[in-house]
Amino acid sequence: MIGRLIPVAALALLAVSPARAEIARIKSSTGVAAIERGAGRLPAAPGLQLLAGDRLVTGKNGRISLAFIDNTRFSVGPNSRISVRDFVYDRTRQRGKFLTQVDRGSLAIVSGHIAKSDRDAMKVRTPNSLLGVRGTRFIVEVSK
Amino acid sequence: MTPVRLAAAGLCLGLAACQHSQLLLLPDEGGGHGAVAVLEANGKPVEAVVSQPDSRTRLGDASPTPRPAGVLKGDEVALLSGMPPPSKSFTLYFIEGTTDLTPESRPVLDELRAEIGRRPGVDVEVTGHTDTVGSTEDNDRLSQRRAEQILDLLATVGIDRNLMTAVGRGERDLREPTLDNVENGFNRRVEVLVR
Repeated sequence: MIGRLIPVAALALLAVSPARAEIARIKSSTGVAAIERGAGRLPAAPGLQLLAGDRLVTGKNGRISLAFIDNTRFSVGPNSRISVRDFVYDRTRQRGKFLTQVDRGSLAIVSGHIAKSDRDAMKVRTPNSLLGVRGTRFIVEVSK
Repeated sequence: MTPVRLAAAGLCLGLAACQHSQLLLLPDEGGGHGAVAVLEANGKPVEAVVSQPDSRTRLGDASPTPRPAGVLKGDEVALLSGMPPPSKSFTLYFIEGTTDLTPESRPVLDELRAEIGRRPGVDVEVTGHTDTVGSTEDNDRLSQRRAEQILDLLATVGIDRNLMTAVGRGERDLREPTLDNVENGFNRRVEVLVR
């Protein structure tokens, strides 16, 4: 009985914590490329599911490409450190909020449904600025 | 403050000012172009919108000034060519009141499988749509249920369940725009997005 109850409880917990749901999937990576989740570090292998709060980290020859569930696409260049600070998305209404922080490196973005849903629903922060994305294809670069 | 630290502060005014950031706005893949607003620079609110395609803007300036981008650098070209391809959409139609594909939709299933096989790290979004008959809430539920049924169907024909999610869009995205409460077979459909 207990053996049956525990998985149900675990499922219920998953259902009420949308922050842990998949927000994006890695499509490709080369060189040193990892996802940092809390204190953990995962290789950025194709198919890996991202969660809100994850950091994308690349080394000298590292690259990562990924697509989000709102159809936003990212291409991350070498020597980068990029966090998805906030990602909330209602798939039925195709609306949400999306904040990405580029600490260093380069990021090409093709924005998706969230950027279209409300003015400045999608934002990108760099160490010295805050951007509101109104569509659709651009590169943000942060170098020392 | 020591003289050395004073000098450093004078040059940089903190770490953020030492770093150089740039925005490169590009044309959209399908032609046209969007815009990016600069909302803050060095912690202060700014009101500026960059809307010139193929322009570079130094970030952190109180009045951001876009300049022509010129020829893209090798790093920038590599970044753009590393972008995942756009998602691809397939539309399936069903014999009314069933989960049986119309004969015309059957070959679409083969195209769908082929597309899924071509994409590393693929994910598949199964989206149900209704016509405008009934309430918004009922149509949200109906389209979600239809999407789940089709997800099950796709799983039985060999598409990995772990790749798929079901979404109901109700009557928000009509293929053929109609008034409310209009029965329409083109609007009752399932779209499968391969990403």
